[in-house]
Amino acid sequence: MSIRECAKSSEAFAKLHDAYCNREKALLEFKAKGGKVAGCMGADVPDEVLIAAGYLPIHVYADPDKPLTLTNVYLEFPFDPAIRATFEKLVDGTYYDLFDQLVISHTSDAELRIWLYLREIRRVERDRKVPPVHFVDWLMHRRMMYQETNEQVIERFRQTVESWTGRLITDEELIEAGRICNEDRDALRAMGELRHCAEPRINGSEALVIIGSALFMERAEHAKLVRQVVEDAQSWPVLTGKRVFVTGSNQESTDLYDIIEGAGAVIVGEDHDWGDRYYDRDMNLSLDPIKGIVDRYMLRQISSKKSSIDSRVRELDEAVAATDAKGVIFYLNVYDDSGSWDYPSQKKSLDANGIANAYFAKQQYPVAKNEGLPEQIATFIQGM
Amino acid sequence: MAEEQKAPEQHHSKSKAVKRLKATAEAGRYQKEWFQSLHTRVNNGEPFGYLNADVPMELLRAMDIPFVVNQWWAAICAAKRMTRKYFGLVNDAGYRDDLCSYCATAFAESLDPDDHAIDPETGKPLGPWGGLPHPTIAITRAACDMQNKIFELFCKNHGAKLYTMEATQARKTPLNWWDMDVDDWEELYDSDRLDEAVEDEKQLIRFLEEETGRMFDMNRLVEVMNLINEQETWYRKTRDLIAVTRPAPVTVVDTINAVMQAQWQRGTQWAADHAKSLYYEIKDLVDRGVPAVPNEKYRLMWIGRGLWHDFEFYQSFEKKYGAVFVWTMYLAMGADAYIRHNVEEDPLRALAAREIGMEDFLHMPPWNSGWFVKEAKANGIDGVVYMVSPNCLQAVEGSYFIEKALEDAGIPVLRFNSDPVDPRKWNAQTMNGMIEDFIENRVIPNAGK
Ligand code: SF4
Repeated sequence: MSIRECAKSSEAFAKLHDAYCNREKALLEFKAKGGKVAGCMGADVPDEVLIAAGYLPIHVYADPDKPLTLTNVYLEFPFDPAIRATFEKLVDGTYYDLFDQLVISHTSDAELRIWLYLREIRRVERDRKVPPVHFVDWLMHRRMMYQETNEQVIERFRQTVESWTGRLITDEELIEAGRICNEDRDALRAMGELRHCAEPRINGSEALVIIGSALFMERAEHAKLVRQVVEDAQSWPVLTGKRVFVTGSNQESTDLYDIIEGAGAVIVGEDHDWGDRYYDRDMNLSLDPIKGIVDRYMLRQISSKKSSIDSRVRELDEAVAATDAKGVIFYLNVYDDSGSWDYPSQKKSLDANGIANAYFAKQQYPVAKNEGLPEQIATFIQGM
Repeated sequence: MAEEQKAPEQHHSKSKAVKRLKATAEAGRYQKEWFQSLHTRVNNGEPFGYLNADVPMELLRAMDIPFVVNQWWAAICAAKRMTRKYFGLVNDAGYRDDLCSYCATAFAESLDPDDHAIDPETGKPLGPWGGLPHPTIAITRAACDMQNKIFELFCKNHGAKLYTMEATQARKTPLNWWDMDVDDWEELYDSDRLDEAVEDEKQLIRFLEEETGRMFDMNRLVEVMNLINEQETWYRKTRDLIAVTRPAPVTVVDTINAVMQAQWQRGTQWAADHAKSLYYEIKDLVDRGVPAVPNEKYRLMWIGRGLWHDFEFYQSFEKKYGAVFVWTMYLAMGADAYIRHNVEEDPLRALAAREIGMEDFLHMPPWNSGWFVKEAKANGIDGVVYMVSPNCLQAVEGSYFIEKALEDAGIPVLRFNSDPVDPRKWNAQTMNGMIEDFIENRVIPNAGK
């Protein structure tokens, strides 16, 4: 189904689509005005701190067409291929020229290793153009002591960012940045409503564009455009089709969604970092700002990588119920394996609830490399 | 090359690797006997812990809670050649059988309905050493994304209670950790990491006390820590002795089992005494001039997990080339990474300073790469055979940087992917060919340079 004409004819959507497709555009404009840019890798870099310091946070992403010349030298192969493709841009100088700083969050094993490798490259191969790299070492287990540790981690991150600018970041600035991000998340939630409801008017590919564009542009501007899209979308036709929920690897492009929706489904939700999970939970502005940030990142929908299987089963069941999905597609890139440990238990529960499901593990990257995938997906959708 | 080739069936029969040392046999004997007593203790209703290797097992030792370590047990299962069967069970249960073989072995075993059964024909137990008794608690650390999940499944099958700990990452990167960790650990680590690890230990202690009804006694921990210092100091002497003795008195086939098995009993008088006896047994070989391989010409270092299912492999290059594997991390980690002085001052902090370093030392450049170079030089290594685990993101430890550091130091490296536990993926013939090629084309021409 892909992106429909009604969406394209919305001026606000077109702007978001432009930012989604031309991912360096806003960054270059920001730089041209003398602004500083921080590259972010991993879903848990607290944008609020960067924004408070006047930085533009921009997410890294994979270029599926780039040969992995340097990646093949440095990285062992059991890394998610999307991460490998991103790594290439981090070591070949692409991002060196675009970012003033690079921040990596401890979101999964892969990000941790990438940080270590980049740090080591900067130490032993100084002529490589790798941006200065910082690590936000979250502890995602939900225990009070880890919450306290995380508060120290984020306070330290604040001090790191202060050292870049040579000035203190005030609490007021952090709260204001939190307000901007919350407003954006709130706008995205309104958009989400138009997917999850009984009569969806925004399809999955459109949603990926609306959400994903936030990773590549100024947040206040993004929020404004999303609000406008929500208004415009009221008049978009209601989508009919089998309601499907997607779980698994991050989808940095609409390729997979185009295939699923092209087969007659409507993707009413997902739990990866480039989809609905992105806007879950606000920063609590009534708390001390560091605590408010930790509260947001630590207590939002738990990442599939760090979650227990029991929670994964529960959260998927809940998400399926909330979106009234009739089918679930598990899609995991090769070497993005932790979800494969969740799957049998999740499947059991879905089966018991009469929810159709299909499992695609060890998938090649990009999506188009998987021979027969569109046919398999079509068969599944038809059989739902 | 032909003489090195083996028929595949032969390859899966019981290991014929020569085990010369009394200490190795003694470690095997003790371990088995201990395991039998474990069955009895568990049957009598005692608590029993199943731990991942990076969990501070010293706390359980101090509380006299018996425990088995995941990695050690996986090695036993592999040596008993259970892996094929187990991964079939994993597959049947709907799980992928190509994931985390090392860490998932015990989960796979927990799917085996025959684990505690007796073979009606032979009267022998079907499970390895009679199978793993049902643990009451299992403890792991979030050092990778999957281990907690695997432990969760394991716990469900055994009816055990799961406890998980966190792992923090080092910001400091001192290049000579082995000079600092014994006495200057407060300097070596970021102090907030030590604070966090101590808190983590205290929470674990609370969990253990509540689950077992036993009190944790700090004085007892001091004793345990001092016994470990004693044991590891013997390893240090042993490592140093092997390093300077040419030809080497023992090979890795002798040391891996002797050390690894005793490491899991660390903190006991038996383990300390065993380490001492190992040293004296090797010292005696040195004094009497008895080499492991009389025609030793080239000394090889093995990086990676042990090949539990094929120890013979390590000996395959002795006869033809005089190429001897003299080094693995198992002895050397004991020598460099475990000893902590001044335990009495703050036992939990000293323990934390042991526990948080393991991941750093083993899996993170530059900590690991620098250490391998230091060890290779000290042991007169002529070539390094480096097996990278193919499906483990925790074991990808910056192999490029390790290889580079060693090669830059003039030591040839053969780096390849394989799996330490899963014989389905192991092809001894290809490996033999690869290593022979490496010896002929890199090690021999480079030796003496
Ligand atoms: S990724 Fe590695 S360390 Fe983690 S569970 Fe799998 S095999 Fe074990």
